[in-house]
Amino acid sequence: MTGGTGGPIRRSASVRRLAAIGVTLIVLLSPFLWLLQMSFKSNDLILQFPPPLIFTPTLENYASLWQGAFPASFVNSLMSASFSTALALVLGVPAAYALSRWAGRGKHALSFAILVTRMAPPIAFTIPFFLFYRWIGLLDTVTGLVLVYTSFNLPLVIWMMQPFFETVPRSLEEAALVDGAPTRVVFLEIVLPMVAPGIAATAILCFLYAWNDFFFALILTRTNARTAPVAVVNFMNYEGWEWGKIAAGGSLVMAPVLVFSLAVRRYLVSGLTAGAVKG
Amino acid sequence: MSGKGLVDAERRRFNAIALAPSLIVLFAIAGLPAIYLVVTSLTPFQLVNPGSSTDFSSPLRNYRLLPGDPRFVNSLWVQAKLSFWGVLFQVLLGMLLALLLHTQSRVVEFARTFFLIPMVLPPIVVAIIWKLIYTPDISPLYYVAGLLNIAMPSLTSSVDFALTAIIIADTWEWMPFTFLMVLAALQTIPDEFSEAALVDGANRFQIFFYITLPFITPILVISGMFRLIDSVKAFPLVFLLTGGGPGSVTEVTNYYAYLLAFDFNEIGYSSAVTIVLLLLVVAVSFGVVWMGRRREALE
Repeated sequence: MTGGTGGPIRRSASVRRLAAIGVTLIVLLSPFLWLLQMSFKSNDLILQFPPPLIFTPTLENYASLWQGAFPASFVNSLMSASFSTALALVLGVPAAYALSRWAGRGKHALSFAILVTRMAPPIAFTIPFFLFYRWIGLLDTVTGLVLVYTSFNLPLVIWMMQPFFETVPRSLEEAALVDGAPTRVVFLEIVLPMVAPGIAATAILCFLYAWNDFFFALILTRTNARTAPVAVVNFMNYEGWEWGKIAAGGSLVMAPVLVFSLAVRRYLVSGLTAGAVKG
Repeated sequence: MSGKGLVDAERRRFNAIALAPSLIVLFAIAGLPAIYLVVTSLTPFQLVNPGSSTDFSSPLRNYRLLPGDPRFVNSLWVQAKLSFWGVLFQVLLGMLLALLLHTQSRVVEFARTFFLIPMVLPPIVVAIIWKLIYTPDISPLYYVAGLLNIAMPSLTSSVDFALTAIIIADTWEWMPFTFLMVLAALQTIPDEFSEAALVDGANRFQIFFYITLPFITPILVISGMFRLIDSVKAFPLVFLLTGGGPGSVTEVTNYYAYLLAFDFNEIGYSSAVTIVLLLLVVAVSFGVVWMGRRREALE
């Protein structure tokens, strides 16, 4: 979305503007940086007043995380986010292709379904999922999380992939079809390789959505399938707040997000607004 | 199109096979839960009372109770306040930030990415960050206030400031979104307009009010509506910062529904609360689609 062609008046950024941008950036990011620096402080240092800005960083918070149940929750997060992404791609990519090549009436019905699943408050899904899962024994399982994450990743895939398929020239497909290749072969061998970057971007966004979830994991898991975001919050307990662990755990939870979202920042707006305006 | 009959039939079969699994799965994991939620909302279902899940003797009982439930009515007001101020600040600050960063420079283009960080962080990490800032013992904010001799109340446990504390955190988290949308809109404004205005001797404020603002107004409205729809999802902030309190000054409808279902075991009643919230969100969503279509028609 950034970097449009009809750019602004060609003027380079003035020193005053650069200074204003720098100050704004520091102010905006200071809360985030505060958490990060805290993760490298021992608990004594964290509680020291005034807070020391220059200190010898320690990895003891990360080390203590490694010893507890946190790594298991991290693996749960990885598994539920990856599997739900894979499932949504396998189901959604062919569907998006079919929709982009077919101007049938189903298009609007599906757009509407996408709209509602994207916009609905999560609690609307939690209550039914909780009751179903309790009934069929999927509470506190990674499988249960994968299914619920797929409910919002599948619409995202269908919505995000359509514009990518639109960019593939129809003449290419038609030539192959006239030569007698079945649509399935055209799709798999000609179209799919051309939209590979789009699939990568969509996959990362799906992963992030599932990874960032707190609400579903809070309600649908207990111990076995507990994800990293819920595990971090559990460091805030009645015996006292383990701020060092909270800061280190929070930093670990946000690490993949920061890396991935830089990779797909061009697609962030379309991913975040999936299914609304184009409905 | 003549002579393509065979190809068309084959194509249709492919489309059907490609679409069917998605439609079936979507129906199973989104459609059925929605239907089940409606069914549950018609019962006095409590988890501790198994027979209650199939008691349809008084289907509209939950809905009749809603208007007389002060906590529900209050939660709508809290949500309205949170949404109104949050959206207002996010749109205004996002616009200012976009204007500041709308310039051609390698450095600035590089810097833009860092402004997006709050939006992409996991919501629970955002909540943790603000919990740090609002906890007097360890907060840099309280330290600075102490240096300046300002008496800071405990924000998240104060009746007067708790909601403001959440609005500030929500604004921090989502201002990058409106920033990104407005920046994209700014980049579609043709240079000729402001160049011509500059030649005619217009100053920067005139260019802003007569050229830039009319151009970006639709995107301001649409990004505001997006934020309005999503503002019901401020759950992690409420959960971690205030727990809905003090009293119920920060208890938004989403949070009340959560408490009803998973703390008070009132599944049926919570479902009814959720349905009302869902209807409100769908109504706003339709507004966005309608405006989006109107905008496309105008272009």
